[in-house]
Amino acid sequence: MGKYILRRFWQSIITVLIVLFVMFMLLRLMPKENYFTRDDYINMTEEDRTAYLRNLGVLDNPLVQFVRFLRGFVTGDLGRSITVYPKTPISEILKEKIPYSLWFGLVSVLLSVILGFLMGIGMANNKDKLGDQLGTMYVVAVRAIPSLVYLFLIQMWITHLFNLPMVFYEDEPASWILPAISLSLSGIAWYAIWLRRFMVDEENKDYIKFAIAKGLPRNYIMKRHVLRNALVPLVQYLPSQILLTIAGSLIIESIYSIPGMGGLLVYAIRQQDNTLVQALVCIYSILGVFGVFLGDILMAIVDPRIKLTSAKIEREVTA
Amino acid sequence: MWTFYLRKGVKWVDDKGKPTEYEVTADDFYEGFRYVADPKNGIKNFGSIRSLLVGLADYYKGLQDVDSGKDKNRTRQQVLDTFKTVGIRVIDKYTIEYTTAKPTPWFLTYLTMDLFFPVEKAFMDKVGAENFGTAKDKLIFSGCYYISDWQRDKLIVLKRNENYWDKKNVFIKEITMQKVSDPAIALQMFQRGELSSAGLNADQVKGLQNTKWKDYIYMTDRSSVTFWWALNFQSKNPEFAAFVKNLNFRKALYYGIDHVKLLSLDDPLSPQNLLRTTIIPEEVIFDEKGKDYTDYPGLKEFKNAGNTYNPKLATEYFMKAVAELTDGKGNIKGVAAQAVDLKPVAQFNIDGKLPLQILIIHSTSSSDTKFALLMQAMFKDVFGPENVEVVLGQYVDDQYDEVIAPQKFDMAYDSFRFAYGDPLAQLGRLVTGGAVNDGGWSDPEFDALVAEADKKIKLSDRYAIFAKAEAMILDRVYIIPFRCGGSAYAIGNVVPYTYPRSGFGVTRFKYKGMKLESKPLLASRVEEIRRQFYADLEKLQGK
Repeated sequence: MGKYILRRFWQSIITVLIVLFVMFMLLRLMPKENYFTRDDYINMTEEDRTAYLRNLGVLDNPLVQFVRFLRGFVTGDLGRSITVYPKTPISEILKEKIPYSLWFGLVSVLLSVILGFLMGIGMANNKDKLGDQLGTMYVVAVRAIPSLVYLFLIQMWITHLFNLPMVFYEDEPASWILPAISLSLSGIAWYAIWLRRFMVDEENKDYIKFAIAKGLPRNYIMKRHVLRNALVPLVQYLPSQILLTIAGSLIIESIYSIPGMGGLLVYAIRQQDNTLVQALVCIYSILGVFGVFLGDILMAIVDPRIKLTSAKIEREVTA
Repeated sequence: MWTFYLRKGVKWVDDKGKPTEYEVTADDFYEGFRYVADPKNGIKNFGSIRSLLVGLADYYKGLQDVDSGKDKNRTRQQVLDTFKTVGIRVIDKYTIEYTTAKPTPWFLTYLTMDLFFPVEKAFMDKVGAENFGTAKDKLIFSGCYYISDWQRDKLIVLKRNENYWDKKNVFIKEITMQKVSDPAIALQMFQRGELSSAGLNADQVKGLQNTKWKDYIYMTDRSSVTFWWALNFQSKNPEFAAFVKNLNFRKALYYGIDHVKLLSLDDPLSPQNLLRTTIIPEEVIFDEKGKDYTDYPGLKEFKNAGNTYNPKLATEYFMKAVAELTDGKGNIKGVAAQAVDLKPVAQFNIDGKLPLQILIIHSTSSSDTKFALLMQAMFKDVFGPENVEVVLGQYVDDQYDEVIAPQKFDMAYDSFRFAYGDPLAQLGRLVTGGAVNDGGWSDPEFDALVAEADKKIKLSDRYAIFAKAEAMILDRVYIIPFRCGGSAYAIGNVVPYTYPRSGFGVTRFKYKGMKLESKPLLASRVEEIRRQFYADLEKLQGK
């Protein structure tokens, strides 16, 4: 296992470096005009613009810039935002914004997992009965209706019905409820439908039929064999999901005015805030790669049949 | 030369409203300006004041040359030491003096810009120039409010500065500026009392027509922003390039666009409120006798022209242009069939014959697309499909970068801010090669008039020539102004005209004197207040 982890560690670093390099060079291919708004651009002479860009350091050789960026990142200096929050240190911005996204994200993952698993188990246990059909209806609704529609309705009606604040306020806990629930709706549906599917698959396997024939109690079979096997493919995604909660949610943070990370990367790219884009992509890719890595390890723990050998990862899920 | 005497004994306050050890002095204005005048600090709107003060442009250029390595004879420090040659001087602790490069009677309107704000150097050095202004504790305040809370992308809370000299005229103790992403949410929040005012779009106004809120919807003032059509004299579409240089054709465009109809896309209820047919906004600049610049002879006719749409006249002019520019059989003189490649905005083939193809540019937004489609339909109606065919081109992100700078358009419109209180702010940028002369046209007569006007110091002399120049380019249809900014629907508890108002700088963030009522104001009451305001204004101007 130790050897495997070391090997994966190096692979991850190389992956992250490649991602960073490609993103870094792509940013340098963008037109220089994008660093300015139209009003700024027409008010500046060519000389002003060159001087401004030189001060930013974007006129240097891209490779030099890349090395400078890596050195900064390793020493914990993420640089300063250029256009989105001019001159503000990026570490400050992240320090302010991540907690919002992280807390809402973690609560929503927790709610999704608990409610989603309960719902999935319930649906599998009552396959083709009313409960299952209701659950399926919920899942289909959440997946098929554009999320903006129901999220907006929830915000308008539920706040009205229960006299809750329309948007998020840090000092009013009542205003935290709806964003957290809204954020979990699709997660619940996702866990429920996949868990139901894996459990139903599992139930139809020969060893379960054999267990039933042997006369083992249904509850025991469900808990001991079906659920446990059905969980294996799902836990793999859990670490990435938890880690990437810091990226926030574009829609929900926007409609509830939560000053989190959602949409930050999009804004940064649109306004060509190179340093901010670099820092965010760097963090997200590290977390993403690390999440997959943790997922593999977690899977090995949940399912002892899976072995992480140094030669090849064997994911033998089928019984 | 402008000399300002500062109030004595005013202390800067911190983000808790407590007075600091620093006093507001002439030095603070001096240091603030020194910061702005250093290219290292990347002040992007410096260009708007570059040639305002004596020696400023040279000083700035000197620093740029040293930074770029062009000037190897001096060190940066040596150039920095020449700041004393710039026209800003500390006379004593409470007196600051600005020397303009040329007489500038409208100098005061510049002072609404953040570029002239004072900065306490000792404080800036303490927090580090790089960090200055990036958070509430990296700022100190000298005005009637201070920032007590600032959550990025969420809210800014302003609290009344209890040490402000004129505290008794600051009525609202605390102002929270909240970011709300959607107008529908903003309206709901207003109706539930979570916000004190909200802007409304046309759909919302229609939706409120049968509710009790209908009586509370009022129009905000028109802003000094003007929208105009640019006609591309450097067009890469040979058909349009041939036509646009013809005055009759441009007149045909002038009379052929139904701007009220176009504006009804933005405001279906009263589109004429958005119409502006001059370049310089009305009710913003006045001469020494209080006469509005747009009321000067020659220009007044354009201001009062209203909707110039007249399809009959448009067709007449167009036919005159056709007679002059084609061989009578529909072949445009000197234009051969060819492909026009303006990728990625547009790509089309021209045949050198009528119908004349005109490329109109729009963004990907639905309102802008509707606008362009309406233009297309309108030209088809007015001029006939056998005469004009509108080709639509689309840009994705930024009109200036994608369309205007690379000259990939025949007709495009944009909005233009009026930067300071003189016609020069717009007309000076419309001369040959000027910064907002997007169509790349050139008229030596106009250039000469602008130069002549700029030599006059007395406002009425100055305005008379500027008005003549503006009327001339409107008459020769180099650009077609058609819309003002502002004039939007709103609803709220804030009493209008109780707080500072000007078309320039950062005045829109000034709240001194603002009054708030416990209930929303009826639209009729806002109208009453507005009438009173303008009556008072006229009295002040001695009319």
